Amino acid sequence: MSRRAGSQSGGVPWPGGMRAWARRHAYSLLSSLGALVRHPLATLMTVVVLAITLSLPTGLYMTLDNAERISDGWERLDTVSVFLDVEIEERGAMQLASLLSTWPGIVAVDPISPQAGMAELTGRLQLDDVSDRIDANPLPWVLEVTPAGGQDVETLSGRLRGAEGVDQVVVDLQWLERLGAILALLERLAILLGVLFAVAVAFVIGNTIRMDIHNRREEIRVLALVGATDGFVRRPFLYSGFWYGLGGGLAAWLVVELSLFVLSGPVGRLSGTYASDFTLASPPWQVVATLVLGSGILGVLGAWLAVGRHLRAIHPS
Amino acid sequence: MSGSEHMVRFEQVAKRYPGGIQALGEVSFDLARGEMVFLTGHSGAGKSTLLKLIALLERPSRGRVLFDGRNVGRISRHQIPWLRRQIGIVFQDHSLLSDRRVFDNVALPLVIAGVAYPEIRKRVRAALDKVGLLEKERMYPPMLSGGQQQRVGIARAIVAKPPLLLADEPTGNLDPELSAELMQFFVSLNELGTTVLIASHDLDLIRRLQRRVLVLKDGTLADDVPARQVAAP
Repeated sequence: MSRRAGSQSGGVPWPGGMRAWARRHAYSLLSSLGALVRHPLATLMTVVVLAITLSLPTGLYMTLDNAERISDGWERLDTVSVFLDVEIEERGAMQLASLLSTWPGIVAVDPISPQAGMAELTGRLQLDDVSDRIDANPLPWVLEVTPAGGQDVETLSGRLRGAEGVDQVVVDLQWLERLGAILALLERLAILLGVLFAVAVAFVIGNTIRMDIHNRREEIRVLALVGATDGFVRRPFLYSGFWYGLGGGLAAWLVVELSLFVLSGPVGRLSGTYASDFTLASPPWQVVATLVLGSGILGVLGAWLAVGRHLRAIHPS
Repeated sequence: MSGSEHMVRFEQVAKRYPGGIQALGEVSFDLARGEMVFLTGHSGAGKSTLLKLIALLERPSRGRVLFDGRNVGRISRHQIPWLRRQIGIVFQDHSLLSDRRVFDNVALPLVIAGVAYPEIRKRVRAALDKVGLLEKERMYPPMLSGGQQQRVGIARAIVAKPPLLLADEPTGNLDPELSAELMQFFVSLNELGTTVLIASHDLDLIRRLQRRVLVLKDGTLADDVPARQVAAP
């Protein structure tokens, strides 16, 4: 039998349509807010737990985001070592150096003589007397080339290889690749933590709602007695779950912004020592929106799980 | 109005609670539309269980309970609210929400139905006026006496104008004068077309009203006394 049959066979109004639906929703919304406001301390405690839980993965995400921005800057500082043919002397090396420095995509060219190279090498290997024992210095001239920002290093090194008098071009990107791999690993870790903490948030809210239901079981019983549908009983709790999630998400955002503010001073001083103007970036609005709405949705989900179990228990089987 | 001439019909209904307690066994009777019937019997005879089976607060173990021609026992979980909205129930324990004002308690069935607030206000105040508690609308149930709480429960049961009213010992907490007044109120509701079934052990009062009486004894229907045979005291 359809719902409308109720209003035909009896005096009970069951007005269909959007307005009755909207009125029932408005009632649920207000009653859920009322329930939260009536217990401000309990509500606050739940929101704080959620905020801390949510701020951990968000904080890690922001740390990585900032670290990636720093390493983008580092890539520009990377140099390419151009080893010249052994027979090229100082004059040839200098000519090539000044030629290369006119190439677009190259910021600076720094020639290193075989003597300087040998000194650096022996110094690094602690072989002080090696140069004495070798009659002729076997090292060639080397040009340290600093690529311009945004210049693709691979293309540049290809062009350098083709230049006359160039023996080898060595690009030492290995440490940057390692850093990139570490950041990727941490990013994966952040996602993993994010998922785990999201589940935790749903369960924290679910558990809070469960206690809420326990405290209001008399109300639920009476509502069911006078003909409330499952949806009507469930709705205030779903709204509560949403408010908890929303509040937790907003508070987590606040925690992250506060942490960034607290860290901005030391980070500024540290980057100052590297002559860098790096500053910590706040989470972009997409991240904030995902955080706040996502936790709201998780709240609804947690509440749904908690209420669903209880509703099955109140009707006779 | 839909088809069935019987508001309620019991066909060999038995109810056994978990643990083996037989509350009702083989009970059959009809309740005509527009009838007013008393249900009596000593405590534990199964009066409350019988009322609960009609509103689907319990499901029968055997037999069929029909409400308005529909087998209540086969109503699904999702249709229970539909059934409950057809039935106003006055509970022995009042079942009021102690943290809601009298007005909000009485308004519940209308709020659930999504009635607009001005209409709710009008109908709640009319219902409270009928039970003589209009001036208490802003109070909380615990501030009221047992009898007053009972009347709030009655106001809630009638506010949505259900075709069937069930009352479980509605005069249990009231003094004789108030009891008589309340019964008269049920009579007037019945005269306006509501089918009424009242469980009560107040035999004096029942005799005075001269309505049909169902007598339960140890879970079975011991007697079904038509209205004309109920002797006035």
